[in-house]
Amino acid sequence: MRIKSVLGLSALLAIGLGAVGGCASMGVEPWERDLLAEPGMQVDPNPLVTALDEHIYFSKEAASGGLAGGGGGCGCN
Amino acid sequence: MAAIDVRKALVAACAVLGVSGPTARATEIETAVLGYTEPSRVSALEAVTDLRHAFADGKEVNFRLVLDALTGASASGATPSSRVQVFTRPSGSGSYQTAPSETPLDDTFRDTRVALSGGYAMPLGRVTTWDAGLYGSTEHDYTSLGVNTSLARDFDKRNTSVAVRAAYFDDTINPEGGRPEPFGAMQPAGQAQPRLTGDGAKQTLDLGVSLTQVVDRKTVVLLDYTFSQVDGYQTDPYKFLSLVDPVTGDPGEYLFENRPDARNKHIAYGRFVRHLGRDNLRLSYRLTDDDWNVTSHTVELHYRWNLGAGHYLEPHGRYYTQTAADFYRRYLVTGSDLPQHASADYRLGDMQAYTAGLLYGRPVGDRNELTVRFEYYWQTGESHPADAIGVLRDYDLFPTVDAFIVQVGYSLRI
Repeated sequence: MRIKSVLGLSALLAIGLGAVGGCASMGVEPWERDLLAEPGMQVDPNPLVTALDEHIYFSKEAASGGLAGGGGGCGCN
Repeated sequence: MAAIDVRKALVAACAVLGVSGPTARATEIETAVLGYTEPSRVSALEAVTDLRHAFADGKEVNFRLVLDALTGASASGATPSSRVQVFTRPSGSGSYQTAPSETPLDDTFRDTRVALSGGYAMPLGRVTTWDAGLYGSTEHDYTSLGVNTSLARDFDKRNTSVAVRAAYFDDTINPEGGRPEPFGAMQPAGQAQPRLTGDGAKQTLDLGVSLTQVVDRKTVVLLDYTFSQVDGYQTDPYKFLSLVDPVTGDPGEYLFENRPDARNKHIAYGRFVRHLGRDNLRLSYRLTDDDWNVTSHTVELHYRWNLGAGHYLEPHGRYYTQTAADFYRRYLVTGSDLPQHASADYRLGDMQAYTAGLLYGRPVGDRNELTVRFEYYWQTGESHPADAIGVLRDYDLFPTVDAFIVQVGYSLRI
């Protein structure tokens, strides 16, 4: 399982680096951001809902972090 | 190709060019009340208020206040038995009983938490933003203090954004009745319990880097990596393990759990956001791995169904799976050597969890929004391990946990 995890993390890193390398052919002009400006196109359109959900998952599961960050904050028994 | 909305395009272009528009100075207040209930277990009521104010010069301040109250019963870690079981409450001054074949639940779980955080963000030039924040929370047996900062820079006409961040938390644990000695045996109520002296302390350092990329007019991708280092007291002082007979499986004693005092976590996260003509799709994947040998995979999907005039429905699904921590033991066996660390906390076991939910949002007037959502969450694990001993073969050693969540939110823009 650990080998799989290392492979998975490496694959994500490779995708990220690939994305950076390919940025030259990506993107839009400033006047093409009409759809991107819509609320539903935000990476996290509702941070408060995300924070509440992450707090629930943090208290019920062994893994946490990601979009809302890791960190401490409660005993959550 | 759909026609470009000229007004939105102008707003977006002004933002990119650093030209202040009419919405540059704004205050937003968002509040939500959430109810959470696990039938016959924990119930919680949580209220959150966010306040954000953006100044005309691009600076921003934000505050968040969280109040939550929890009550009910939580699995103690002990196994079911063919006999009535008597457990001493964490205070050491009382006891509670669990009927034969029932999963032992500690019904003394009751807490109120207050958390306050604040942040300040400011532009450093045209394409760089720096922010810093403070965090503090307190409950009757736990205090957490934290600081965080991040630096973000845009590239390529703001199609690419890279951010680095750091956070540090210093937590103090002062459990009811004191911290149990690792693997100390629970004593009858009224007798001296095996306790450590002093409070527990835990420090957490998070370091992260993220990349947000506009792929095309309808697609945004986020990739994020976090390294988290946790040092200090990570044992749950309210959890214990049954020390069972190697033949019958019935418990003789209950030993308080003992977890390692160091944990290093790696978290890789990706999110894909796509415009589908009228609706929007957000698809996320998270991989975590740590040196407790917990590996998890999470897949999450949000579909925003835009109904028109600002109304929308957002179905939500989530699948989560984790491997057990290498020191997870459902029970310990009399006569066998004690491991270096052990915990029967089901949250450290092999587990799958599922979430299904629906959010409805609608505008109120020109600038405000009301949201309502319902979620159902359930967890399953290894109910009947193949190597269970004696009577334990007859019992559900990982009962399904169900939770229902209801939330009402309102956001106000001034």
